Amino acid sequence: MIQEFDELIKSAVCEVFQTMLNMNMETKPFDTAIAANGESHVAGAVGFIGRLTGVVYIHASEPFARRITTTLLGLSPEEVQGQEMVNDAMGEMANMIVGHMKSRLADRGMPCVLTIPSVVRGTNFSIEAVSSTKGSLHMFSCREQYLFVEFLMKPTKAEA
Amino acid sequence: MGPKILTVDDSKTIRMIVARAFRPFACEILEAADGVEGLAVVKREKPDIIILDFTMPIMDGVEMLTKLKSDAEARTIPVVMLTAESGRENVLRIAKLGVRDYLIKPFKEDLIVERVGRIIDLKARTEVQAKAKRYDDPLHVLVVDDKPAILDQITSGFTDTKWTVHGLAQAGQAVDYCSQRLPDVILVSLSLPENSGYMLFQMFRASVKTKGLPILAMAVKTATEEHARAQQFGFTGIITKPIDVEDLKHKITRALNLDTSYRYFERRDGLLVMSLPANFSPAVANDVSTHLRAKVCEAVDSGINRLVINMGQLRSADVNLIKLGLGAIQLCQELDMKFILIGSDVVCSECKNYEETKDWQFVATFEEAIGVLNAKTPTLV
Repeated sequence: MIQEFDELIKSAVCEVFQTMLNMNMETKPFDTAIAANGESHVAGAVGFIGRLTGVVYIHASEPFARRITTTLLGLSPEEVQGQEMVNDAMGEMANMIVGHMKSRLADRGMPCVLTIPSVVRGTNFSIEAVSSTKGSLHMFSCREQYLFVEFLMKPTKAEA
Repeated sequence: MGPKILTVDDSKTIRMIVARAFRPFACEILEAADGVEGLAVVKREKPDIIILDFTMPIMDGVEMLTKLKSDAEARTIPVVMLTAESGRENVLRIAKLGVRDYLIKPFKEDLIVERVGRIIDLKARTEVQAKAKRYDDPLHVLVVDDKPAILDQITSGFTDTKWTVHGLAQAGQAVDYCSQRLPDVILVSLSLPENSGYMLFQMFRASVKTKGLPILAMAVKTATEEHARAQQFGFTGIITKPIDVEDLKHKITRALNLDTSYRYFERRDGLLVMSLPANFSPAVANDVSTHLRAKVCEAVDSGINRLVINMGQLRSADVNLIKLGLGAIQLCQELDMKFILIGSDVVCSECKNYEETKDWQFVATFEEAIGVLNAKTPTLV
């Protein structure tokens, strides 16, 4: 099941970034040193609830999150004032990625509903799930900028 | 301003992307962050189309759509659903709600414009603004012809204008070019290989971005079948080869509805002066006639009640001049406007030969014309 999700995550991230930002995201082996380099990060999260329940976080460094925002909105860096626009853009990117995954899951007979996006910011935070939760970590890059995707899922009744 | 497009989405990002997508078009973008706000905007603004998100807090897209469909006034407003969820069941559910179309996020901006453009009439801002453009404004002319000599001829013919010419040899290049930058007018050769001139025209007319652009066909003068076919296709006009540059300029002027009135009409010393150029031709006569009534009425409206008709630069008086002069005089009489004619010796003597113009009184200079009009004015009181 997790492997299936991994493929879904990869295709969703690549498609959303290509369509909305014209960015070719390449999958990379997850590297903790790059992910936890002390830089300020912005994480957009969207949960899904149904036959499958879980959450997907997309993280990017503050500069990359700003670049995503400026590209998405067609603005110059000076026009992106404060954090609100970046938060909204990262939330919407997460929403599109998880929406893409949700549609594929629904087609496979696993309907679910999505939560409203939320955003977390910080320089040194980690996401810790309860021990029974399954998950995976993914890293993508585009021109030396990195995107991290963390996927967490509650085991299904059958798995539990 | 054009049609009103309402985007209802809780994400400001999506609303900004939608607004950006429609920026090149003459339309008004209205925004709402949820269904409740959306319904209020619908009631207040009566949009021409709604782009509606599916999942929103407070009131989601489904509930808003249901309420819209039960409102007698709003039920006919077309709705395009925008959703991040593209599962088969979701798509079927959306279709049952009576939406005109739906789009799946992520989406390309061009796609949303194309879909909305199928439902409402979108006009490029440049197309709308062209109505206010003047002949002496900078214009961007795209020429699609694989004959370099034609491009050279057109380019050199426009050196007395601020018009710039960009030449491309292939239809495909023109499509790519217009996706980046829209010209003011396109000239397409009908002799491009494999009917690609016609195919290019059809592609431009099918695209929301280019459907309103004037497209003139270029064909050899004797190729009458091509002319007829171009007319059937709906080309804005036909330019015949060999190219008569003055005719080309005239056709572009007409196609873009360029304002040329400043070339003939001016306000000077409290008078309206209509000056006819030395190169007076049927086309010029037609051009002046087009503006005559509007310019004279405009002057009267702003308190000017005297017109100087300056024929001083003309070398002869022909039927076009006489018709124009008679039209101007008749208009002055209708509006109780005083007028005077300035004419060269040739024009004065030739006008004596025609029944309609034998009584026309001319003066030789503008100063003389002012003197006569000023002398006449007290008698009007």
